[in-house]
Amino acid sequence: MKKLLLFLLLIPLAFAASWHELAALAVMVSAALLGVVYMIGFGFGINELQMMAREEFFQLIVLAVLVAVLTGSDSILNSISTLEPLKPGAADMQDATLDILQENREQVEGLLDDIASYDKQVSKQASKSSQCNLMSMGYSVSGCGGFSILAPPLSMAGGITAFALAELSAMERLVELASSYALALLLPIGILLRTFKITRGGGGFLIALGISLHLMLPIGIIFNEMLAETFQDSSEDHIDEYPPDGVSADIPECNPGDTKAPHLAVEIVTLGLGSLTDLGDSNEDQATSAYLNLRRSIRSHLFTILIKATLGPIIALLMMTSSIRALTHLAGAEVDVSAISRFI
Amino acid sequence: MVEAMICTPDFQAFFDATILPLVAAASVVTGFLIAFSYMLGNLLNNPKLTVWAKTEVLQVFISVASVFFIFIAINTFCAINMGEVASFFTGVETQHDLNVYDAAGEYLAESALYSHNALTVIRYHLQAYTIYAYLNAFLCDFEFLGIGLGCWYGYSGKYEQPLGGYGAINAALNMVFNSTLIAHFSALNFLFILLFVYKGFVFIFLPMGVFLRSMPYMRSFGSLLIAVALSFLIVYPLMLSIYYLMGDVLVDRPDSPHCLSCSDPCPHCYTPSTALSDKFLHCQGESCEKVFDDWASAGIIQSIGTMLVQSFTFGQVTTEDTMDSMYFPDGEHPKDAITFGAYAFIAAVFMPTAALLATIASVSYIARLYGEEINLSRITQLV
Repeated sequence: MKKLLLFLLLIPLAFAASWHELAALAVMVSAALLGVVYMIGFGFGINELQMMAREEFFQLIVLAVLVAVLTGSDSILNSISTLEPLKPGAADMQDATLDILQENREQVEGLLDDIASYDKQVSKQASKSSQCNLMSMGYSVSGCGGFSILAPPLSMAGGITAFALAELSAMERLVELASSYALALLLPIGILLRTFKITRGGGGFLIALGISLHLMLPIGIIFNEMLAETFQDSSEDHIDEYPPDGVSADIPECNPGDTKAPHLAVEIVTLGLGSLTDLGDSNEDQATSAYLNLRRSIRSHLFTILIKATLGPIIALLMMTSSIRALTHLAGAEVDVSAISRFI
Repeated sequence: MVEAMICTPDFQAFFDATILPLVAAASVVTGFLIAFSYMLGNLLNNPKLTVWAKTEVLQVFISVASVFFIFIAINTFCAINMGEVASFFTGVETQHDLNVYDAAGEYLAESALYSHNALTVIRYHLQAYTIYAYLNAFLCDFEFLGIGLGCWYGYSGKYEQPLGGYGAINAALNMVFNSTLIAHFSALNFLFILLFVYKGFVFIFLPMGVFLRSMPYMRSFGSLLIAVALSFLIVYPLMLSIYYLMGDVLVDRPDSPHCLSCSDPCPHCYTPSTALSDKFLHCQGESCEKVFDDWASAGIIQSIGTMLVQSFTFGQVTTEDTMDSMYFPDGEHPKDAITFGAYAFIAAVFMPTAALLATIASVSYIARLYGEEINLSRITQLV
């Protein structure tokens, strides 16, 4: 009997083609359920039931208005996010977001490949030592020790880059979820659950999660991308070579038996990122040269790593969690999602 | 409490034979106390006592009605087929016929397995790269026909670690490994909370709640107990069962359209029993946990032999290609492993935590319906 009732209630949803229809039908099913509650209250003369049905019906009207606002906002934001300056080929806001994330992800993966490649070369040079031993007499020289100082910063760079990559991947997964389920599943189920007092908290949360995933998360990513693009465009006129073009660092071969003294340290200190030709050819000079090359190479990716891949997802997640909190408050049962914000 | 899981006949027997009598006993005891207070109020001509008794009669009725509502909700949840619900909303038929409670447990089990798979893939890379990095080579001077003449009469040459440079990628994988470990433990933690609910512990809150709600100064505590039971029996499983419907994307079910369209390599769509073992980890038998043992016992001798043969045949120590042929014959995927870890975090930490937060918020909301304000913000901070 219960299964039959559920089937009868949900059967209109099976004919719904889009999320708009699903949401409208969910509102209608909720209204029908409230009508049944009101009739029971009327039939048995239970004023409390009638009052509850009236109150919930008012909540349903508010929710219907919210869905209408969502429909309008969705259309406007889709139009904005697929305009010429951003992603003209994208079908909607979620597609544009996925394109942005994919581009950033490719850049971050490229940097991780570069860092791994530099690390391999640097560590190989740093591990070298020379030994000469005849009849238990001889010497051992570690002439490439200067290269070992390059490994810790490279490890740190690897960790930071992996964090950025993980963040972008997590964002991609959330946007995929939004595309597939936010409005097709979370919103209608949320509307249905919100009809009952006991499940109002859960229903309100599902509605808030669906809307926030669908709207606020992509908006946050697109908003950050717009800021980053604008900054990049404006900085080209005012800052020389910022962000600098990607350059590949050259890690020279080290001779572990070479113990020549390094070139004058004063010259190394005064070196900028420009000419590196003043360095000598000792192992220490080679290590310094490699360090300066690496600094220049990795610096060219900082903008992507810090602004696009780290700050962008943080802003998007903060917007999403703030939106969930505000919408759950609006839905009548505020969910404190600050714990989720701590993940950021 | 009970061996049987919720929705089983044994559990029904436990509910009928233990919980309902306890609720009835609590209601009767409370009723007696209220009646005694009423009589005492009349005897002493104390209107405070009589008014209190009248108020509490209504509260006992509300408490018992709540228990009755829980009973109906559980039966309904046991009857709902989440596969049919999924087909209504998404148009996609699911293979399994699961009720709400089973679907919730299934999602957490899947997310625990998913995060475990991520851990396995990341650990495998870490393990391989660590072994790579610790390989040492001694290159003799004056090489002649692949043999260093510098070592014939003495010991002249260069030491180096030809594959020592995996610090950066190991740091990257270590960071993701730690987060995935937390994700796996979180999934298990959420699963244990669910089992705690399913095994009937939370039902003990009901008779206690019925009794305590009508006792002086204990209304808040009693309301909290009933609200906890209601939220964790209705809201928490319901949230997780809805996540189960999103499992094709959330936990990359291998037979889902999402995974079938994923181009190879796609490690996050692998499962230990099939593709993972065949394509990626080369583990034998039932469990991929044997990977390291197999390598340590048999593979190490084979690999040393390979290195020695290479060394003498080609006049060089083992190369990265040689090692890759042993560890990653289909290619290494550190970036996919990082991505896998990130996906596991969403499936096993982000979404279940959101469900738990909604449940805790629901406790406050339901307690408010009983007329009590309970501040659970401190509890929320612990999540």
